[in-house]
Amino acid sequence: MAPLAPRSGDAIFANVERVNAELFTLTYGAMVRQLLTDLEEVEEVNKQLDQMGYNIGIRLIDEFLAKSNVSRCVDFKESADVIAKVGFKMFLGITATVTNWDADGTSCSLVLEDNPLVDFVELPDTCQGLYYCNVLSGVIRGALEMVSMKTEVTWVRDMLRGDDAYELRVKLLKQVPEEYPYKDDE
Amino acid sequence: MRMFHVTSISYKRLLQDLFEVSEGCSSLEVLREWNRPLRTLSSQQDHKLMFGLLFSLKSFTAKMDPSSVEKGNLGVPQLPGQGCSFHSFSTNSYKLSLMETPSGIKIILVTNPKTGDLQESLKHIYSLYVEYVVKNPLYSPGTQIRCELLNTALDQYVKNV
Amino acid sequence: MIGVGKMKQYTNVLDKPLSKGKQEVSLSAFAFLFSELVQYNQTQVDNIAELERRLEDAGYAVGARVLELLCHRDKGNRRETRLLGILSFVHSTVWKVLFGKVADSLEKGTEHEDEYMISEKELLVNRFISVPKDMGTFNCGAFVAGIVRGVLDSAGFPAVVTAHFVPMEGQQRPRTTILIKFAEEVLRREARLG
Repeated sequence: MAPLAPRSGDAIFANVERVNAELFTLTYGAMVRQLLTDLEEVEEVNKQLDQMGYNIGIRLIDEFLAKSNVSRCVDFKESADVIAKVGFKMFLGITATVTNWDADGTSCSLVLEDNPLVDFVELPDTCQGLYYCNVLSGVIRGALEMVSMKTEVTWVRDMLRGDDAYELRVKLLKQVPEEYPYKDDE
Repeated sequence: MRMFHVTSISYKRLLQDLFEVSEGCSSLEVLREWNRPLRTLSSQQDHKLMFGLLFSLKSFTAKMDPSSVEKGNLGVPQLPGQGCSFHSFSTNSYKLSLMETPSGIKIILVTNPKTGDLQESLKHIYSLYVEYVVKNPLYSPGTQIRCELLNTALDQYVKNV
Repeated sequence: MIGVGKMKQYTNVLDKPLSKGKQEVSLSAFAFLFSELVQYNQTQVDNIAELERRLEDAGYAVGARVLELLCHRDKGNRRETRLLGILSFVHSTVWKVLFGKVADSLEKGTEHEDEYMISEKELLVNRFISVPKDMGTFNCGAFVAGIVRGVLDSAGFPAVVTAHFVPMEGQQRPRTTILIKFAEEVLRREARLG
């Protein structure tokens, strides 16, 4: 039986149940506001958002795999492409572009063409250090970790901080194969 | 490693157990048990054997792959999706079918040896897991699965297989 | 903080044109985000009541903004001033925008004059949930109750709003009822308006 070809992001997005992006955006906003109240320090909020993204990523990967028919994730370049074309599309209805590969093919940039997290948002003076969309970098890191790729994901450009686009840098640190989890004498 | 285990040895092609093991934890957890006539080992033992069997078989099958040049070394762990993978094996008393996702989840069905191809069933069970475990706001990865929606959906599905 | 925009740069968020609210994301994206909201808040509380209160607070922030947004976009900056008007606004307009459908029912409480109930067979936030026994009557609908309270409060109808599972005959899953108990001042004003 030949493996099924991965489905396109558009096809998946057209077929899944969808909700108004405003519910999503406002809920995310409420969450960020809670963190700012609970944690006070902007730096702590950035960390927590990244952690929450990671927690989402390690779950979301299974939804992604189940719906996309992607059956292998061995090649980092291929995976980056799939995240940009299929991943962002099937969850957020947007596409990202993969650019700026480094020479050895272990780090690249994802540039977002749209970003539903930031509608309605303007950073007040007290939150200038906030990476409002930090959840996204966490999601990518978490999801890739579940398919054995340890990565580091950082923001290069952020429109809420006055840049002209949203750009994430994804760097592959190492690929970790599955190990036999028991000791021999256990 | 995360592993689902749905077994059935009865002649009615009933699925019997469903185990899940969470990342980095070696305790086995029985999620769903229909009716297994014989329980030979402790579930912990069962689970270790199952993992060892799959781990070695995968390694062997990849090594024997006549169509691939890169075979790696026997026993050296592979990346998910690397090398070929096997879908099922049969003995005179049961058939074991496996689906392994790139995220390391293994879903195993043990059924009557005459059962046909079960890849579709395995996929369906994976989608139930995604729907009712992964998206349950009260489930945290790595903890025991207690999702009555999953159980209901699995029971329903098994009845109709 | 209102003002919606696509990827064009504006010096000020208020310069952006307001979106028509037609953009969508997948239900899963929302489900995962909401799950994480619940999981995070679980780490911040000692008991179920506190967890519900925190989810309600998060919902309140959403509700207050939804009212602002809808009044501006759909109602030409007018808002409801009568009790039944605001209730039906929540039950139909707000529900339709947030959950893609009108709520299953809106009823007046039979025992108390100041109580109203909005019920939903399968509330969006309860779609994928299995509540473990040790969490008792915990209902994620507290978030939606918060949204309702946020809308009502911001429109000048302060109320206590709570979410409850109600078992349904012949149904495996209970429905969720959002119970609205208006503040006394609201009923007095309503009586004055006649």
